[in-house]
Amino acid sequence: MLKLFEHETLDVQNLSEEETAIRVEKLNLQFGQKHVLHNISMRIPKNRITSLIGQSGCGKSTLISCFNRMNDLAPDCRYDGSIFIGGRDINRRKENVSQLRTQVGMVFQRPNPFPMSIYDNVCYGLRLQGIRVRRYLDDAVEQSLKDAALWEEVKDRLFESAHILSGGQQQRLVIARALALKPDILLLDEPTSALDPLTTLFIEELMASLKKRCTIVIVTHNMQQAARVSDYTAFLHQGKLIEYADSDTLFTMPEHKQTEDYITGRYG
Amino acid sequence: MVRQVALNTHISGKFNTELENLRNSVLTMGGEVELQLVDTLKAIQQNNAGLAEKVILNDLKINNMEMQIDEECLRIIAKRHPTASDLRLVMMVSKAITDIERMGDEIERIARLVTKNKLPASETIKSSMLLIGERVVQMMRGTFDALARQDENSALEVYDQDNRIDAEYKKLLKYTTEEMQKSTDDMQDWLEVLWALRSLERIGDRCKNICEYVVYLSRGTDVRHAPLENIQQKLKHLS
Repeated sequence: MLKLFEHETLDVQNLSEEETAIRVEKLNLQFGQKHVLHNISMRIPKNRITSLIGQSGCGKSTLISCFNRMNDLAPDCRYDGSIFIGGRDINRRKENVSQLRTQVGMVFQRPNPFPMSIYDNVCYGLRLQGIRVRRYLDDAVEQSLKDAALWEEVKDRLFESAHILSGGQQQRLVIARALALKPDILLLDEPTSALDPLTTLFIEELMASLKKRCTIVIVTHNMQQAARVSDYTAFLHQGKLIEYADSDTLFTMPEHKQTEDYITGRYG
Repeated sequence: MVRQVALNTHISGKFNTELENLRNSVLTMGGEVELQLVDTLKAIQQNNAGLAEKVILNDLKINNMEMQIDEECLRIIAKRHPTASDLRLVMMVSKAITDIERMGDEIERIARLVTKNKLPASETIKSSMLLIGERVVQMMRGTFDALARQDENSALEVYDQDNRIDAEYKKLLKYTTEEMQKSTDDMQDWLEVLWALRSLERIGDRCKNICEYVVYLSRGTDVRHAPLENIQQKLKHLS
């Protein structure tokens, strides 16, 4: 039969190892006495955009922070279960967390450029890795800024302070900084919530182009954004993964009533 | 999974009202068209050209309702970004009003039989036509009732009624063509009668379409272009 519209969907419940970027198994997490994540198991597909949605406090930011062990910074955080990235369990004790964070980059809600030049911001991570060769750094800065769709706007003022940039430019700079390390996975925690709608669209367009080279996981409160940009969406409620499916299905015919209530703005 | 779309449980009270109004407006439009058919049948029975004229004029009102409801659907999609069952409701309404408007056009065509004085001379044809008309009215009533209650089972029962209408239409069509062959002089008049009969049968098909939308609304499953048995089997499989 003639197929007019092609919408690729993977069965996220049954992804093969090759298709999986992150495999979460029975993840539980507590902050002190508060049980924040309950027995989460899911597979996040490679080179796709996956959104985590849910009410404030449902655990989506905590979950995304598990993917590069950012929660380790909280002293009262305890967790068990496994998270497999690139075939190894990153929750194991001997995991090299610094190396993990180059492989799994993270961008936060508010752009956080360092108080230094645009150039130095982008190559900050590379320098930390001991790379000093000027030619290599120049190329990496140019390529990362191009990938983050910022090069044309800043190429003539690379050595000016990053703080002269607008909010949207600063957020793209932060993305460029993460991209300079050539991460396999990019975590975006509400990356556009502090930006205007037009700049938001630029960042969304950027995400769409970046997924060719890395896996993107995004936390968003904006359901239209999740529906627009993500291939797959996971809905969390009170620390539990309620539903996880391709975004087309989740936003048109969700299986669970809790998901339906949330995405249609009904009383839970 | 069958799920009743509760329109009044959104956090936004204004959105609740907008969806309620949308659903009510499509039911009002359906009620108007149903009344149009009842009046048309009465006009045929009484050979009442005045009543038929009223039906023809009233069709403008139905056309206008379609445009208004369509605009409201567009407004809701643009401003509210509905998802899941809300989106299905808006899409269903947008499609259903097209069918209802077309029903109005078919009824107008039937009413013109009376104003043009082209009613069949044969009492058998006329009374059979009225009988099919009555069945179509019942089907319309059942359709809008199923729509109002979002009742998938009622929708499927109504859906099934179309087979009986189709069978009666075919029988009457055969009889009418036989009568036509006996008197070929007034061929134009016969054609008008045939078109009117066809219009009645088409209204039944439109009702069927709306019943399919009711299933889509409650299940999210597209059951168009499938025989009833297949639809029932498909829904049973999904339960």
